[in-house]
Amino acid sequence: MNRSDRRETMEVEIPFGSNCVRLSGYEWFIVAVVVSALFYFVPKLWKQVEKFSPVSDYRLSYKLSDDYWLFSRYCRWACSRLGEAPSRSRTDEKTLFIGDSVIWGHYVSQDNTLSYYLNEVAGRDKFVNMGVDGIHPVALAGLLRYYCRDISGRDIILHFNPLWMSSKKHDLQIEKEFNFNHPNLVPQFIPNIPCYKVSYSKRISAVMQRYMSFFSWVSHLRISFFENMDLPTWTLEHPYENPLKSIMLALPASDGYNLSENVSWHEKVIGKQDLQWVKLESSLQWRFFQHSVELLRKRGNKVFVLVGPFNEHILQGKNIDTYRQMKRQIETWLQQNNVPYYMPVALPSRMYRDASHPLSEGYAELARQLFKSAYGGSN
Amino acid sequence: MLFHTWPFVLFFLIVYLIYLVLKDTRFRLFWLLAVSYFFYACFHPLYPILIAYASLVDYTVVVRMAKSSRRKAWLFVSIFNNLALLGFFKYSGFVTDNLNVLLSSLGIPYAVAAPGIILPVGLSFYTFQSMSYAIDFYRGNIEREKSFIAYASFVSLFPRLVAGPIERAKNLLPQLHKASKISTQDVTDGLSLFIVGLFKKVALADYMALYVGKVYAAPEQFKSPALLLATFLFSWQIYFDFSGYTDMARGLARMMGIRLMLNFNNPYLATGLGDFWRRWHISLSSWFKDYVYIPLGGNRYGKFKTYRNIFLTMVISGLWHGAAWTFVIWGAVHALGRFLTRELEGTSFYKEKVPRLVKQLFVFAFVTFAWIFFRAENISDAWLIIARIFDSGLANPYCPLLALTLILTVWLYQFIYESTIRWVLETRAVRIGVVVAMIMYLAVFAKSSEMPFIYLQF
Repeated sequence: MNRSDRRETMEVEIPFGSNCVRLSGYEWFIVAVVVSALFYFVPKLWKQVEKFSPVSDYRLSYKLSDDYWLFSRYCRWACSRLGEAPSRSRTDEKTLFIGDSVIWGHYVSQDNTLSYYLNEVAGRDKFVNMGVDGIHPVALAGLLRYYCRDISGRDIILHFNPLWMSSKKHDLQIEKEFNFNHPNLVPQFIPNIPCYKVSYSKRISAVMQRYMSFFSWVSHLRISFFENMDLPTWTLEHPYENPLKSIMLALPASDGYNLSENVSWHEKVIGKQDLQWVKLESSLQWRFFQHSVELLRKRGNKVFVLVGPFNEHILQGKNIDTYRQMKRQIETWLQQNNVPYYMPVALPSRMYRDASHPLSEGYAELARQLFKSAYGGSN
Repeated sequence: MLFHTWPFVLFFLIVYLIYLVLKDTRFRLFWLLAVSYFFYACFHPLYPILIAYASLVDYTVVVRMAKSSRRKAWLFVSIFNNLALLGFFKYSGFVTDNLNVLLSSLGIPYAVAAPGIILPVGLSFYTFQSMSYAIDFYRGNIEREKSFIAYASFVSLFPRLVAGPIERAKNLLPQLHKASKISTQDVTDGLSLFIVGLFKKVALADYMALYVGKVYAAPEQFKSPALLLATFLFSWQIYFDFSGYTDMARGLARMMGIRLMLNFNNPYLATGLGDFWRRWHISLSSWFKDYVYIPLGGNRYGKFKTYRNIFLTMVISGLWHGAAWTFVIWGAVHALGRFLTRELEGTSFYKEKVPRLVKQLFVFAFVTFAWIFFRAENISDAWLIIARIFDSGLANPYCPLLALTLILTVWLYQFIYESTIRWVLETRAVRIGVVVAMIMYLAVFAKSSEMPFIYLQF
């Protein structure tokens, strides 16, 4: 190739590409309209075709704990049930019981949870189990803010589990990164959570899920039908299966309860623990719990707070004093802010599975106490 | 900061909006340079110093060359400087490793300490681009660039900074100089290129990577079908990965009114190895042709020297890709393939009797075989994979049918694109349908990954 040939080669017009995917402005407009419509309507249509019909004492399947789209649907269902009979008095309305695995009932079956026993004590189907396994107060604040917008003007019992303040790690205050529950619900940018070190890309994706229900619906598909995997990873596990066939249009039936775990902490040979409680005033979890109370009240809900009951029998020596001091501070805040609450004394030791989860018997006992405290024994 | 991540999308939106404001002012190039250096600094804060140094040396060399009678000496300075940068950052580890092997085999009880230098992202691309400017000026193909800001922008332009295309000064510098006239078509074309690239990278390349990575990480645990499939998938992974990057780079530049060269032109439809290299990483192939193959004599001095020149060019090209013997062998294998198809193409039987499809499949099979050396962790792994493909027996490969379906769909699309029924793909409904399908697939099914591009390591 001589010099003039080279010049000629360089001066030829640069080809656009090696395919026909070249759209004009008008065609991009059509794409934008079609994609926007799909983003908007597909999740709505999905609700029409996917069967979701909770019954009394329903709780979300353990496997679906991260499925916030479904939780949002559950909230809407619960709130629409409340609105079914507008002529009824406030005392006829259902009460939403929101909290972590203590409310969900981690070691007990669906008909042994706190809400179940409360319904039993009340003599009717009044309490809705809206517990989410593993949800700590920082995440709960995110869940309530972004996925529970339908909850307004309702009666709510909000549970606070002191376990989340039992160490700097539980309180998300350590610098070292670790995998904690529900990372997509925690603040992605401000305030900074020291142990949360994912990339900005993941943080932005989490924020988008909150505001675009299409993306939380996509997450719902993955959690419900693809074993919480994205499609490529799922196909590696199921190489010859048709992914479309996996979308059954019905949610997993099992609620994730494991009967063999329903034994006390003594039988599990869990020893006494020396917990490094964080100070209430510096606790991230407590700060976010306060936000949750404020948010729910701002939305016109009547909030009743249940604190604990923590398994004080598991605590060593001075630990109990520190814990009780913290409880008093919590109580002071609730009183100062006119938040009705119940702060039970610890249940008998045999009624606990671990540091914070009661067993069936414990839930039954707690239900009696709580009902008496919150409703004066009258239903 | 990778093109297929949200931070980059935010970065580009900000950069682009300000670029639109500044595009008719003298601050446009300053802005381009500043954001390009910022983009590079996101990989490592010290990288901009390196690229500024490389730019400054070549810019100064050409200034000197223009005023001096010792043009060759100044050209030597440029080439030496660029190769020294590459040698130090890219090849020093390779050299010391091999030196230590040699010393050990000679029984000399001395080992040179490993330098432990990290290869700066994109170094191989921008040193070649900068070097070509000095060579082109020396050859009289281009005018001297008077503005250092323009020259530094040419070397560092962020869409193409980390993995090309390796642009020529003659194409890019004039575009940087003239006030950008950005038409609606530029923006829509840019978007079209970007979405195709994004789909190739996120939906396809990263998907293939899951299977390929698993098999190539422990080839001794897999039998022939899995190894064959992984190699087949890697062929497509690297194509989707690199051409996806290039499409995105071209799309971003296009939105700014800058047209970067076509770097991939359906290479797996090539009918010969020569044809393959005119379709694969075109900017690098043409660089090697213009600055290595032709200066070596090209095809002007008989068959033996032609083949020698092809061999040397391909081996150097292999070494450019990575400082390891696997890349050298990969280059050598391609050179042998080039000899073979060149000879075959000289026969009337091959030219006239062998169907085009057979030639295409033959070239694809050959290129896929060569990729084994490119992908394997080391030479012994490469030989192990080849050996096990032939004698490890059969076992279920557990290869996702969806991955194969996606590949065959793309391949079919390309076949149609180069056939007489291309008009089908050109219809509005199909074009819009393809874009909607890609966006929805990305939104619903694609893996949410931040896997880096394969070519960033080169």
